Amino acid sequence: MHNELATIESNEQISSIYQQMVLSAPLIAKDCHPGQFINILPDPKWTHVMRRPMSIASQSNGKISIIYKVVGEGTSILNNLKPGDSLDIIGPLGNYWTDFDTDYPVLLAGGVGIAPILYLHDHLLIKKIPHHLIMGTRTKDEHFFKEKTNASIVLTTDDGSYGIRGSVINALDSIVSGKNSSVIFFACGPSPMLNAVNRFATDKNINCYLALETLMACGFGICQGCAIEITNNSAISQTYRNQYALVCADGPIFDGKDIPLC
Amino acid sequence: MLTIRIGNLTFASPVLTASGTFGYGDEVSDLVNVDLLGGIVTKSVTLHPREGNPPPRISETPFGMLNSIGLANVGVEKFCKEKLPKFKKMDTHVFVNIAGYAIGDYVETLERIEVEDSTISGYEINVSCPNVKKGGMQFGVDPKLTEQLTRALRDKTDKILILKLSPNVTKIEDIAQAAVAGGADMISAINTVVGMGIDIATRRPSLNTVFGGLSGPAIKPIALANIHKIYKSVSVPIIGIGGISSAKDAIEFMLAGADLVQVGTSNFINPAIGINIISELKSYCEKENIKSLHDIKGKLEYQ
Repeated sequence: MHNELATIESNEQISSIYQQMVLSAPLIAKDCHPGQFINILPDPKWTHVMRRPMSIASQSNGKISIIYKVVGEGTSILNNLKPGDSLDIIGPLGNYWTDFDTDYPVLLAGGVGIAPILYLHDHLLIKKIPHHLIMGTRTKDEHFFKEKTNASIVLTTDDGSYGIRGSVINALDSIVSGKNSSVIFFACGPSPMLNAVNRFATDKNINCYLALETLMACGFGICQGCAIEITNNSAISQTYRNQYALVCADGPIFDGKDIPLC
Repeated sequence: MLTIRIGNLTFASPVLTASGTFGYGDEVSDLVNVDLLGGIVTKSVTLHPREGNPPPRISETPFGMLNSIGLANVGVEKFCKEKLPKFKKMDTHVFVNIAGYAIGDYVETLERIEVEDSTISGYEINVSCPNVKKGGMQFGVDPKLTEQLTRALRDKTDKILILKLSPNVTKIEDIAQAAVAGGADMISAINTVVGMGIDIATRRPSLNTVFGGLSGPAIKPIALANIHKIYKSVSVPIIGIGGISSAKDAIEFMLAGADLVQVGTSNFINPAIGINIISELKSYCEKENIKSLHDIKGKLEYQ
């Protein structure tokens, strides 16, 4: 864990609603793994006292990136930052995805949940591990990945304006049933999507690892603000807790079996 | 220059970390050398382990945050086995914060820790908990109950006993005097201020428990007023807490009457904030030619 004053290399719009910020952060870049996050202080004047946790979307040569959508005051501040500006970040935080070697990985991303999934995708490409990537957005203009689609990169849109109509679930059946070996899911996205992925995995007895998002203050297990309900305490590093897990310290990646289906 | 002597304790600096904002001091060892701090106050320990409250537990507010964690902690048994031994490696004062739901809970928790061979300097007592035997009323709102609780604990330990007071009372001076009458060595204040947030889109409160505790720079003026009131009413050493994020803030608390300060919510923004404040305080003392920070305690000048 490092507290780094990162320098912004670029901060650009990559589709109709998503921004990508590239940061020079050599210490964090050296130590991070796919699925981990950084906790960002949006305003050094402390008008906003809670850091913003964001998944790492890429890592190379001392640089990391994040992908975000402007939704509130914190992300508005981030959106106004320019190359050369600095940003106070703590990371890398949380656990990360492992176990790519036995089952065939299927990566599922919904909306801004693409960030950690893209990092995992890059990681698997480097390790030459064959896998599928399914990314869903609401409309065509939200996709920033269109030129990269191929047999193993599938895009979906809620309105059918590009790729497969519907959610990432609509793309899953043909991919899963076309595989002889067993598959494993790695997913990040909005709660309804993660719930649907988890339900699909449970029904078909597929291992499934979900990256979750919550509000956080510290990001490393001290404030205990990012609690979520869990069904199984195997997810928890400190065994006195049975009912709640901390997304920052026990996650952000959880085994789907430990997360209640709704 | 920054050394503060209180009773037979010597604090290398007047800056401590507040309960619930610094864990047990070992979680942040990557980022902070805790030995540079004046001391740390642990997360609240209760007699039995506590899961804590259902989410959402935190919410941001202007210059502050609301929390309703629900005293999630490992419980005193596990605390003694797993956390207490780690303090032996730390060269700083450690105060164990204790919370309870009946006087007997507090006493039993303290006694359990007392039997251990530990290096802790003392206890900070969280009186902002509901008393189950008095219909859920907080200990810290009733002077009689505060005195009774303090005395019960005083009888069981020779270590430093700090009572951490709540600002959510009619007259904090009465509570401070009651704590001193019961045998408290020091007073720390303030705990969080009762607050609430609402999401107008869902019409739901921002915290699951509806009401929570407000902390951060937003509460600093409330904390300063309470410290000054306490300073005017008791003569024991005082620890100022509430929105401290700079040496300037710390000095304001000392002028209002504090001997020491605790840094709380600011640790979430910058876990090394306590260390930064200490070096800023050193520069301030050099610049202002202050020999000891004790010289400015209560030196507020009325117009």
